[in-house]
Amino acid sequence: MLAIPGATLSRWTLAYFAAAVAFLLLGEALMVLGFGYPIAGLRAPQTLILVHCITIGWLSLLMCGALFQFVPVLVAGPIYSNSLPLPALLLILGGLALLIASFLQLAGVLPPLPAVFLGASLLLGAGFLLVLWTLGRTLAAAWPLNLPAQFVSIGLASVAATVSYGIIFTLGFGGYSRSPLLLGIQAQGLPLHVSAGLGGWLTFTAIGVSHRLLSMFMLSPELDGPTTRWTFRLGTLALAILVGAGTIVVAAGGGPGTVLVVAGITGLACLALYGRDVLRLYRQRVRPAIELNSRMAAVALAHLAFATLLLSACAAAGVVRQYIGPLLFLIAFGWLSGLGLAKLYKIVAFVTWLECYGPVLGKAPTPRVQDLVVEPRAARWFWLYFAAVDVASLCLLLEAVPVFRVAAAAMLLASAGIALELVRTRRLANVGEELRLPAGAQQPRLLFTFVGN
Amino acid sequence: MTGFVELDVRPILRAGGEPFGKIMETVKNLPQGQGLRLIASFKPTPLLQVLGSQGFTHQAREIGGGDWQVDFTPGSAAGKAPQAAPARPATEGNWPAPIQELDNRLLDPPEPMVRVLAATESMAPGEVLAALLCREPVFLFKELAKRGHAWRGAFEPDGKTYRLLVRIGGTPGEAA
Repeated sequence: MLAIPGATLSRWTLAYFAAAVAFLLLGEALMVLGFGYPIAGLRAPQTLILVHCITIGWLSLLMCGALFQFVPVLVAGPIYSNSLPLPALLLILGGLALLIASFLQLAGVLPPLPAVFLGASLLLGAGFLLVLWTLGRTLAAAWPLNLPAQFVSIGLASVAATVSYGIIFTLGFGGYSRSPLLLGIQAQGLPLHVSAGLGGWLTFTAIGVSHRLLSMFMLSPELDGPTTRWTFRLGTLALAILVGAGTIVVAAGGGPGTVLVVAGITGLACLALYGRDVLRLYRQRVRPAIELNSRMAAVALAHLAFATLLLSACAAAGVVRQYIGPLLFLIAFGWLSGLGLAKLYKIVAFVTWLECYGPVLGKAPTPRVQDLVVEPRAARWFWLYFAAVDVASLCLLLEAVPVFRVAAAAMLLASAGIALELVRTRRLANVGEELRLPAGAQQPRLLFTFVGN
Repeated sequence: MTGFVELDVRPILRAGGEPFGKIMETVKNLPQGQGLRLIASFKPTPLLQVLGSQGFTHQAREIGGGDWQVDFTPGSAAGKAPQAAPARPATEGNWPAPIQELDNRLLDPPEPMVRVLAATESMAPGEVLAALLCREPVFLFKELAKRGHAWRGAFEPDGKTYRLLVRIGGTPGEAA
């Protein structure tokens, strides 16, 4: 499209965020109700519904929405299309609904209807393909890529792999695949699907994005030194081993154990370097007092560090399989969701401020970004959230299911509290009457952003 | 009656190319009193703003198949030589020395952008503002474009300080 250097606001990012938060609340409500793991087994259809509400509905939509806003900022260029994200969102939501219907068939709740499996695969595949096309074209226009954008591109390759595995599984469940190669992937490929999704797509992308976001909001030096470059290389290598070698091994009918160990050790080195960089970002920051989003991101990062240590210890002791449930829970809610909520809190305030007050800056008195939020009130919800996640993880470890459900209820309450703060920010409810809408400023809408004109 | 120079950018777009440079070049070389008739495969909304800020009025209509024809007519303010396109970094010509210098390096985002825009509001057309920033101000460019200002910017050799020059729009540009 017409290239004006610089980034603009993403039109549909808020719609992605709203859908994502709705799925987070839904997933947490299912856990409170005792639907899926830990009451059902890890591979039970009910658990698969819960897991995909969180991984596709919450985390992936959150990440896609954030990338539509953030990739243009990373490459200082325009988004390839500000319209395609909407059909992509609708396709993914439709696909997720059909995927849930597919799992309900496996659970025997719905009568068998193989077309639903096919429909879920097609819609999810098309939706993510549209996301990849839009972001991929945006990145391609900015070639050669800077380091944070390189992280994002590997993250996008990982989501392609994750979705491909998922489609192979779904078609297999629906009875569509006959090929022994695909059946091999179906039989042994689950760890690859999970690692490519949580590790490659969500974590590796979050690493790349967090480098830039943390340095931006704490005024720390930009990271582009050898540590960061090696974080990228080792992470890419780990994912290449995982997806490349892993797929070949399982398609040939083998188990992915050795591949997981080699990729895991490489990934561990990548995470260690990331940890070093993050410590540097926090220590070398110019701002002594940091905002809530950076404080809460630190708590999420501590959860990543702890989960990594725990996973390594379990791997060394050969008991990963036994504790995989609590480990994945800690990664999904302590690390990824914690970081997601923390950054969501800042991004919503920032884009709302830019949308509403950007056009009148300098012409009329405007509030500061921080005037759109009330941090002490939100901080309570964040602390409750992380405390509840820790208690819930411990309960999973100790198999204390009733207490787990209470902790899940606390997570739900805290997430709903944060969601309400986001709505208040978007509605400018925290801004004083006299500054709220200066002449020329437009009241922001909840689900989309006025762009440009 | 205004005559129009016709520019069809659909082939450029179809080839995956970027028509902005070509459009601005055509605008720059428009004969006195002539307008631009642009044909594109979508409604070029950002361009309407860019040329609007140079004094062009426009009339856009869909011509079928999703294609658009937009007639840009020079207004009384738009002369033969439009000022340096405000919607992209200006590279040509000498600018006067900045009358104001801002050091915004240690401010939290988006405060650096707020200060630059606030400063531009109190300056006269043709005057130049300099600002030191700690990163490329990607959101600021759009806002400067909307307000008709031109800018130049680059990282200093240390790679850490971004020096931005903004020239206030509203008068014909100085000789290149």
